[in-house]
Amino acid sequence: MSMDMATAALRLGLVELSWTFVFQLINTLILYLILRKFLFGPVTNFMQKRENEIKNQIQHAKQLDEEAQKLKADYEAKLLLAEEEGKDVVKKYTQRAENRAFEIVKTAEAEVDNMKLNAHRELERERVKAVNELKGQISELTILAASKVVEKDLNEADHKELINKFISEVGETQWQN
Amino acid sequence: MGTEGFGPRIAFHIGNIPVSETVTVTWLIIAVLFIFSIVATRNMKKEAKGLQLIVEQIVSVINGLTKQNMGERNYMFAPFVGTLLFFIGISNIIGLLGFRPPTADLNTTMCLSITTFVLTQFFGLKSKGIGNYTKGFLQPMPLLLPLNIIGELANPVSLGFRLFGNIVAGVIIMSLLYGALGGFTEMLFGLAIPLLQAGVPAVLHIYFDLFAGLLQSFIFTMLSMVFISGAME
Repeated sequence: MSMDMATAALRLGLVELSWTFVFQLINTLILYLILRKFLFGPVTNFMQKRENEIKNQIQHAKQLDEEAQKLKADYEAKLLLAEEEGKDVVKKYTQRAENRAFEIVKTAEAEVDNMKLNAHRELERERVKAVNELKGQISELTILAASKVVEKDLNEADHKELINKFISEVGETQWQN
Repeated sequence: MGTEGFGPRIAFHIGNIPVSETVTVTWLIIAVLFIFSIVATRNMKKEAKGLQLIVEQIVSVINGLTKQNMGERNYMFAPFVGTLLFFIGISNIIGLLGFRPPTADLNTTMCLSITTFVLTQFFGLKSKGIGNYTKGFLQPMPLLLPLNIIGELANPVSLGFRLFGNIVAGVIIMSLLYGALGGFTEMLFGLAIPLLQAGVPAVLHIYFDLFAGLLQSFIFTMLSMVFISGAME
């Protein structure tokens, strides 16, 4: 120990109470106050504040989530409704279009029938006209032939009537085709 | 007072009052903790990073320890518990830096244990009321009053001496070892340079300073918490 320079300094006893006790009491108090004011106070407060903030945020997020879920359900319901409506509309218009098409076809058919009928009538009329003309010509020819045979100039009007009667009696059916 | 022995050296005098190295090292510890507190709590951010993370961890561990040992309502003792833990812990391991641990001085350890004792009695009295507090000393029978009083007074003594004994033993053994190693080097190699002092004491430093030191600081703190909260129940 004699080599140790510091041993030359005065030492207090190893086990004795001294003024150091008072110093240490004050030091401990100072250290306590420092740690409380500058370390534990701020850090604990800060952590508490942050914890509260996080709790609030989580709660807020939960609330938002709930709202979002509700909105989502609402929109889904609305969407479903809209789809249904859309289907109805499509169905309605399809039906209407079908009806309309059916009507058009029906009118067209009726028109065609009408036209057919008209055509028939026209044909009939033409035919009758032609037959009548033929009848006229035949009677004229007959009169001509008969006058030559008889060599007697008959009254043309009397003969015409006579021949017409004859032709009628013979039957028109012979001339139909 | 003398120049021999293992007592704390006197750093200087204030008038007639000697200020020992125990006190100056304590000032150093206070200064370091003060600067640490200021730096670590400066512009704290929501997203803890680096030093702030460490400080938050330390504080929440001490808060948790206090709540766990003293109950949720005695949360306010956390700074006191932290003071004990920091002061004793750093004091005990400061020997590694070549300082004399303040806890190797009976004045420091008794100061701390008497503080705990005063708090124990004060909060016991406050929470129980004077009637129940006095009655506590007559339990389980009035005849045991002297024993109860001795038992109560023995707490701070054992608390203070346990810490002091553990740390001062380390200090004495380490300085004896350094002296011996210096002597051995001179004897073996004939050198005035104490080569063996490098490396060899490391293992003992780890045991006496780190292991025993941290363990004792923890024991002191735990017992203080148990005494105070025990007196309040």
